[in-house]
Amino acid sequence: MITIENIEYSYDGALKKALDGVSLEIGDGEFVAIVGHNGSGKSTLAKMLNALLLPDEGSVSVFGMATSDEEKTLDIRKKVGIVFQNPDNQIVTTVVEEDVGFGPENLGVPTTEIIERVHNALDAVGMLDYAKHAPHMLSGGQKQRIAIAGVLAIDPDVLVFDEATAMLDPLGRKAVIEIASRLNKEKGKTVVMITQYMEEVIAADRVIVMNGGKVAMTGTPEEIFKRGNELRALRLDVPVMVELRDMLQAEGLIPENDALSVSEMAEVICRSLLKN
Amino acid sequence: MPIIVEKLTHTYMPNTDNEFVAVEDITLTINDGEFFGIIGHTGSGKSTFIQHLNGLMQPTGGSVTVDGFDMSDKKQRAKGRALVGMVFQYPDYQLFDSTVLDDVSFGPKNMGLDAEEAKQRSIEAMRMVGLDPELFAEKSPFELSGGEKRRAALAGIIAMRPKYLVLDEPMAGLDPSGRREILATINSLRDELNCTVIMVSHSMEDVARSAERIAVMNDGRLYALGTPDEIFSRTKELISLGLDAPQTARLAQELRERGFEVPEDIYTNERFVSWLKGRMNDA
Repeated sequence: MITIENIEYSYDGALKKALDGVSLEIGDGEFVAIVGHNGSGKSTLAKMLNALLLPDEGSVSVFGMATSDEEKTLDIRKKVGIVFQNPDNQIVTTVVEEDVGFGPENLGVPTTEIIERVHNALDAVGMLDYAKHAPHMLSGGQKQRIAIAGVLAIDPDVLVFDEATAMLDPLGRKAVIEIASRLNKEKGKTVVMITQYMEEVIAADRVIVMNGGKVAMTGTPEEIFKRGNELRALRLDVPVMVELRDMLQAEGLIPENDALSVSEMAEVICRSLLKN
Repeated sequence: MPIIVEKLTHTYMPNTDNEFVAVEDITLTINDGEFFGIIGHTGSGKSTFIQHLNGLMQPTGGSVTVDGFDMSDKKQRAKGRALVGMVFQYPDYQLFDSTVLDDVSFGPKNMGLDAEEAKQRSIEAMRMVGLDPELFAEKSPFELSGGEKRRAALAGIIAMRPKYLVLDEPMAGLDPSGRREILATINSLRDELNCTVIMVSHSMEDVARSAERIAVMNDGRLYALGTPDEIFSRTKELISLGLDAPQTARLAQELRERGFEVPEDIYTNERFVSWLKGRMNDA
């Protein structure tokens, strides 16, 4: 469990606080999405989760360890791994399997166990066939999967995706979201997904909307996406299917419902057409 | 005059073990004033293709002619290139000067304009992209938000007054409002400057909304070329290629698979609503 209590943070020389009184709890095994416009503070919040940044005020506790306690930094980073936006900045070696093994090797994990961890991590992201490949020859989406495998090899309980899909094409984005969902459901990993793509929020248990360094809204995707006008005022939007749902409801063509995805919408429209 | 691409092929490292054909046998014409969209997944050859439009790359086969200038010819290339403004992905990472105005005027100065003219053009360009010169000219580029940086980068290209504006994923990394605003800016620039816009995008929704014609690239080849109506009526095919389609087109396809007849030109929410309304009223 991660507990964030009333944290504040300012970057050097900045006039406005990047985080201004944020409190929240992230439970074990939860899938939390954090959204917000450019500059809303969401990436700053992500970096608080494994002591990459320390709050000026307030506290962050990761499984009972305060991030301000320097002696605990390494233990915290074993628990919370972050996948960043740019896959090119996260790859450090010339062979995929060495790259994935880099983290556990640095932590002093025995060689036989590293081999096993690398195998499992590459398997989990569907990149086992690429173990001997050169990372720079891979596509952006494939590189990002290698970066995820590198974090998995450390075996963290919490995976933070800090706009990890922003630079990928639709296929690459879809693969990352599917991997995150699977790790959450099948391996019980806690997932914190930071994104600007509203479609990627649908899979989450809970959505946190950031604005001006504060938590502006919180709720399930169904609840959040009923508040389209508030989202738009915060420079965000609803998924395309929710926009359609609202338009159809306004015309009285379908009953009120909670559909968020293409298949859920198809279901609702089917029922309306058959009843007609 | 248009951009004419004939049988364009580009092979990397020809006659070696690493020989790789990035684009192959592409023939198309981009008309003056057109909004031309290019879609295709990573590795489909989109980036290689657009780099031929301003002579950053030269064909290993076939030809590219920009406004009558043959881009394979060194002298003509320089003239053709001057007409093509290229905005790369994440152009905001390329801002480097101490003020926004200096950054925007880098391009025009580089073209050989004198300082005063470069400044005038830059101020005008900032206005066009929605960055008030009074507020932004003397700011450091590092003080700008993501969307503002993107605008500043765009202004730097606009200040060179290109006839053709080539944009590689101009909305990537921006929040939903930022995306909408940049797309609106691109559309208004096109009206004001009367320029041709060539936009590579992963967002099918954006391409569907703005482009007059769309080229679909796959495996280095031109897979399809047509109006949005023509392209998105082939949603099933696009999906089987591993490409994305607008979500509304996917919804229409799913309804077809469930046995409902949905016309092929339904790929925006507006059209979907009017179709469903008509259908419910008829019944």
